[in-house]
Amino acid sequence: MSETVETVVDRALAALDALGLLGEDVEDEWTYVTDLVAAQRSRLEAIAAARSTEQVPPERASAVELAIAETAAIVDPHRAIDWLSTYPDIVALALDEPIGAGWRAGELDAGG
Amino acid sequence: MRFQDAAPDGRAIVYAHVQADPLVLRLAELLADASPAQRVLARAVMNGESADAATWRSMVPACFPDERSEAILAASLAVAARGDQVRDQSRGAVVEALTERLLRRRSDAVRRERRILFDGVRAEIHPYDVTVEVDGRAEAYDCKWGARGISADVLHQLDDARAGAAAEDEPLAVALVVFDSHLACRVRLDRQTAPHDETGLVTIESMDSLAGGPSRGPAR
Repeated sequence: MSETVETVVDRALAALDALGLLGEDVEDEWTYVTDLVAAQRSRLEAIAAARSTEQVPPERASAVELAIAETAAIVDPHRAIDWLSTYPDIVALALDEPIGAGWRAGELDAGG
Repeated sequence: MRFQDAAPDGRAIVYAHVQADPLVLRLAELLADASPAQRVLARAVMNGESADAATWRSMVPACFPDERSEAILAASLAVAARGDQVRDQSRGAVVEALTERLLRRRSDAVRRERRILFDGVRAEIHPYDVTVEVDGRAEAYDCKWGARGISADVLHQLDDARAGAAAEDEPLAVALVVFDSHLACRVRLDRQTAPHDETGLVTIESMDSLAGGPSRGPAR
């Protein structure tokens, strides 16, 4: 039985929060971790809001489950922080979303 | 302004072996022609815990089946299998080698581990990872595996070089190359008070821009 984007993203968000909690163990990075979790959470919530009732093909839902399992396997808080920036891209790819929230081609070469 | 090879201290000698590692060079070569999604795959594998290739194929179906993705996966797993310290060094060296390869697509004047000297100014001890040494349009890049590598020291070093060059009426484009998401870099930079308005930012989404011209946009 296929699931909706909303239910898949809800599980992904719970894993994101758990990963953030682990990353917060690095005291010097507390602010960065909480800010990054908030930014990634907004990004994933936006996907869920835009496509809430859309059905996710089973193999794509499984891909998200594997990404969630990968976050659960991480025990080192430093590695958790590294994974915080990449895990949402893996979820996005599984849901057929582009990577790179907030980035648009050409934005960075526009001249400063 | 002039460029100079970095002094070969102990750290540099050890690190030179990492930079010359065939696995590092192979992965950089593969990533130079990779899609952004394949680069994310590489970063995920090298950050991850799973050592099973089938798990990654199922986790990132957007990249498979594909020959390059398979090669990237195999090389990334080999890097991930190394001990933490060697793995960290290897990952950093991959980003530098990738940066060098992409820059070489538009210039033959690409160098590694170079210091930038200015008249009457004490030189930075740490060299710049990659430079493009062309009169009148030189560039200097600092390469980082992740957004956490963005620090006040790094930003000051890049901006000091830009300012030093400007004081000599020499344009010098400076940029961070971070093998991480733009979002993570932006979150990191938002809390930095060190000068970075005139420092370019190249992230995992925009690596190909290195082959197209200097990144002059602000690190935002």
